[in-house]
Amino acid sequence: MDYSLSDEQRAIREEVRRFAENEVAPVAGEYDEAEKYPAEVVRKASEMGLTGAHFPVEYGGVGYSSLENALVTEELFAVDPGIGLCITSAGFGAEAIISFGTDDQKERFLPPITEGESVMGAAISEPQAGSDVTSVRTRAEKDGDEWVINGTKMWITNGSVGDYFVVMCQTDPDADDRYAGFSQIIVEADRDGFSADKITGKMGIRASDTAELVFDDVRVPEENLVGTEGMGFLQLMQFFDETRTAVAAQAVGIAKGACERALDYAKEREQFGRSIGDFQAIQHKLAEMHTATEAARQLTYKSAWSVDNDEDQLTALASMAKEFASNVATDVADEAVQIHGGAGFVNDHDVERLYRDAKITQIYEGTTEIQKNIIARELLGKGF
Amino acid sequence: MKVLVTVKEVAEVEEDFELDGLRVADQYLDYDLNEWDEYAVEEAVQIAEESDDDVEVVAVTIGPERSEETIRMALAKGVDRAVRVWDDALDGVDLLDVGAKTRLLSAVVEDEDPDLVLTGVQANDDSFGATGVSLASAIDFEWAAVVNALDLDADGGVANVRRELEGGVEELTEVDLPAVLTIQTGINEPRYASLRGIRQAQSKEIKPLALSDLGLDAAAVESDLVLTDVYEPETESAATYFEGDAGEQAAELATVLREKGVGAQ
Ligand SMILES: Cc1cc2nc3c(=O)[nH]c(=O)nc-3n(C[C@H](O)[C@H](O)[C@H](O)COP(=O)(O)OP(=O)(O)OC[C@H]3O[C@@H](n4cnc5c(N)ncnc54)[C@H](O)[C@@H]3O)c2cc1C
Repeated sequence: MDYSLSDEQRAIREEVRRFAENEVAPVAGEYDEAEKYPAEVVRKASEMGLTGAHFPVEYGGVGYSSLENALVTEELFAVDPGIGLCITSAGFGAEAIISFGTDDQKERFLPPITEGESVMGAAISEPQAGSDVTSVRTRAEKDGDEWVINGTKMWITNGSVGDYFVVMCQTDPDADDRYAGFSQIIVEADRDGFSADKITGKMGIRASDTAELVFDDVRVPEENLVGTEGMGFLQLMQFFDETRTAVAAQAVGIAKGACERALDYAKEREQFGRSIGDFQAIQHKLAEMHTATEAARQLTYKSAWSVDNDEDQLTALASMAKEFASNVATDVADEAVQIHGGAGFVNDHDVERLYRDAKITQIYEGTTEIQKNIIARELLGKGF
Repeated sequence: MKVLVTVKEVAEVEEDFELDGLRVADQYLDYDLNEWDEYAVEEAVQIAEESDDDVEVVAVTIGPERSEETIRMALAKGVDRAVRVWDDALDGVDLLDVGAKTRLLSAVVEDEDPDLVLTGVQANDDSFGATGVSLASAIDFEWAAVVNALDLDADGGVANVRRELEGGVEELTEVDLPAVLTIQTGINEPRYASLRGIRQAQSKEIKPLALSDLGLDAAAVESDLVLTDVYEPETESAATYFEGDAGEQAAELATVLREKGVGAQ
């Protein structure tokens, strides 16, 4: 057992943090308030290699493992979750292309992400298909050598700024197995019949773009099918463990950011003639926040490590990490606001934003309740 | 062509700190690459990137093993390899003066035989601001200090430089190679190390050299300067706050300025 990070991993953490402090922190409040996608910041991040860092080297990535991805995510989210998500989500959905795509698909769709020219998304959820992913109804039908797609996708990250999406479609409504009959198809945003409607009024991660996508007789060539027809859902499931670990890392980052700001403020703010950090009530809060964050981090790192080293224990661990870390993030952000008092209730302090941002980690990539269902299912050996 | 960049890891002190004898206690220190050296490194890497010929960029530092982490970040930004000079004889030295640094760096220059040496204008720990020029004199290179724009004509053997002089005056001048240029902040925009660069840097060489490897002995690091005392300067609060509306504040400011002699004939 080895708990230390390698020299390279420490260097990643340091340089990503430096980038975030210099390029993200000064503009975070502005993009949050305006609900604006930070295209310029994402472009700068891509110069450093932060977009699609886990892509294979031959397609412009660094071939990062889950642990390195987690470190990058943690540092970005500690500074600002909204812009952090824009950067780390630039290659959402690419896992399917990397693992199941053709060489031609990889050439076409991967390098533009790492070069900062394009942004992509994973379109799974629908108005009626949230936690129950198998109720996806967006339909793709074969017509000659084309797929014709009809349906609506909901809550799609990068929806109105993305250049292409890996869309979960129903291709065989008559399939017997509830997990069969779905296929992943790449749809470019400039296809006729595609439209995206940005969803505004989000509580947190407001710099991140979220949209409703409508497919109205959208035609794409048959070579846009990723992997095997009818295997879409099973292909997607292969990455749940990784994507959940990634959300756990987001949550650890948010908790870390909240801890740091609370500690700074506790040292600085004076009441009753001394810094509030001298009060045991505040000291205990700080101790608990840092302890919980470290526990969440260790669970997340173990899950990330398992992605690469121990598949057997992975599924339960990834859900545990996601469930636990997202709770820690919301609790710790809450306490950070508390430590700031009134100052934490307005947006001239970052903790106000972190408090709003933390909540999403309990919702997307499977809600807290769904994670608990999975953990229990694994424990009770109920299988899939 | 070969460009040698001198780099230094410097300690940055936290806002609140305590002294421990002749130094700031270690727990209050953060180590980072000297700010000016960031710009020198970037300039060297840009020269290599923009040149059609092969340009090797070598970083040299005088520093303990700990400094490798910082030096490796320069490698991640595109420096090809590094040389790190350290020796037991340096362990006990509180303050390495310009003369000692010059002797060590001269020996490295002799070894490496670069066409161009870039240094930072100064290091933000001891701020002597003299090492670059002193080195140039010792190795008999041409030099220009406080360079804030550089256009290298490697084939012509000339560096066209703009130097920052006192009082906002600037000088444009030509310096024949081989030369030492001390680089001012703002000459370029230092890049972030890319994630790929960080990965590649892990396998780049940082060659450790002891004094004996450079043909030197402990006498080379003997310093004419001795650190006798370290203390926190008394801070005097010299800020005056004016009360009242804008008109009243302006009137008060005018009074103060007049008292200070502003407007007097
Ligand atoms: C900002 C944002 C970005 C998103 N990005 C994407 C994206 O890029 N791509 C994408 O495809 N989707 C995305 N989503 C969708 C997200 O994954 C879903 O919102 C999430 O899976 C929950 O689905 P739902 O909203 O329909 O909630 P529902 O499934 O309707 O859940 C409502 C409540 O019921 C509970 N519940 C549901 N089923 C069960 C059960 N079996 N047992 C116990 N409790 C249950 C839930 O836990 C929750 O508390 C995003 C969502 C948001 C808000």
